[in-house]
Amino acid sequence: MPAYRNIRLCSKDCMCLYVCPTGATNTENSIIDAAKCIPGCMACVNACPSSAISMIPTAYPPQQLKSEAVIAAQRALGQSKIRQEHLANAVAISSKSAVTKQFAKAIAKSNRLMAEDILRESGYMLPQSRKVIELLKAMLENAAPDFPKDTVKLLLNQLQNKKV
Amino acid sequence: MQKFICSICGYVYDESVGSSENGIAQGTTWESIPDNFVCPICGAPKSAFKLYKETPVTLTPSQTNVNNEPVEELRELSTGEISIICASLAKGCEKQQLSAEMEAFNKLADYFKSKATIATQVKTWNNAINMLDNDITKGFTVAKIVAQNNTDRGALRSLIWSEKVSTIMKALLERFVKDGEAMLENTKIWVCDICGFIYIGDIPPKICPVCRVPNFKILEIERS
Repeated sequence: MPAYRNIRLCSKDCMCLYVCPTGATNTENSIIDAAKCIPGCMACVNACPSSAISMIPTAYPPQQLKSEAVIAAQRALGQSKIRQEHLANAVAISSKSAVTKQFAKAIAKSNRLMAEDILRESGYMLPQSRKVIELLKAMLENAAPDFPKDTVKLLLNQLQNKKV
Repeated sequence: MQKFICSICGYVYDESVGSSENGIAQGTTWESIPDNFVCPICGAPKSAFKLYKETPVTLTPSQTNVNNEPVEELRELSTGEISIICASLAKGCEKQQLSAEMEAFNKLADYFKSKATIATQVKTWNNAINMLDNDITKGFTVAKIVAQNNTDRGALRSLIWSEKVSTIMKALLERFVKDGEAMLENTKIWVCDICGFIYIGDIPPKICPVCRVPNFKILEIERS
């Protein structure tokens, strides 16, 4: 588990610089150097007075199961929000008024965010979860000629290394 | 004297107190407040307020026959759905500081978005209002009962947030259809990047009234 600094919370008390045994916390862009960070060390996390540093997990438990009834209900609503996003985008493109375009963009974005949240809760929350891995594999099997297969192969390779 | 609660953020209008923020004197009854009244906290319309009772009303599974309805057969995910799921997984990677994986999921989201063919008949705001009305009266009601019956708090949480966002969105669309662009003339539009809450006004609330995230995550939609 490498350490991660939330710059918004960092109050520059610099205790992490004093306690870090490898200098991983002392970088000009404030991002902790994962290559130098000792996994599980925790020295900077414990020393930080503003709780700006936390450890990024590298292993996750299996995800909670979703019942078929919940999946069906979430998907029905998600599909409605997708249709509304599509409608708002069509208005944004076809309208000549800057105000209507702006309003339509807000409606489209809001619908997309709702659809993301609702469908995430149909069992696709954690990128490393079994359901996501299965979805990625299914993409490869049914790939159209222009499908970016390498992108999926990269994801399968990276995510399966971070096993759940 | 009665009390009315904002179904979006929980602000309570007390007739015996009035609302100094909106210049409404104490003792003003709910009926005599103008229809263009908005919640002083979150901007929700008057129609989003409900009579406030000390014991909250909750749905019970026995109120509908949802248990006996056949579960719709699960179909394959559409390209539109896959695009949405990939976009949300990209955010899941961003939270874990996995930037290459985030980019990959975003690329897939764009790919599937470009392939999505979604049939919408007439592209008017009234069409959107009808869809929202169906979501609010049917979709969310059924899905909330299903989530409760399956003790799925995550699903229930997503439904409660999106139902509130939908209620506000419907009121905004109805105002836009009625008043046109005048309602947006000298004001800004904001969307919460977490839950989709839409706010019309110069400065968004300190925390999102729907999902409670601090307002640095409520982003302005620029006018081009």
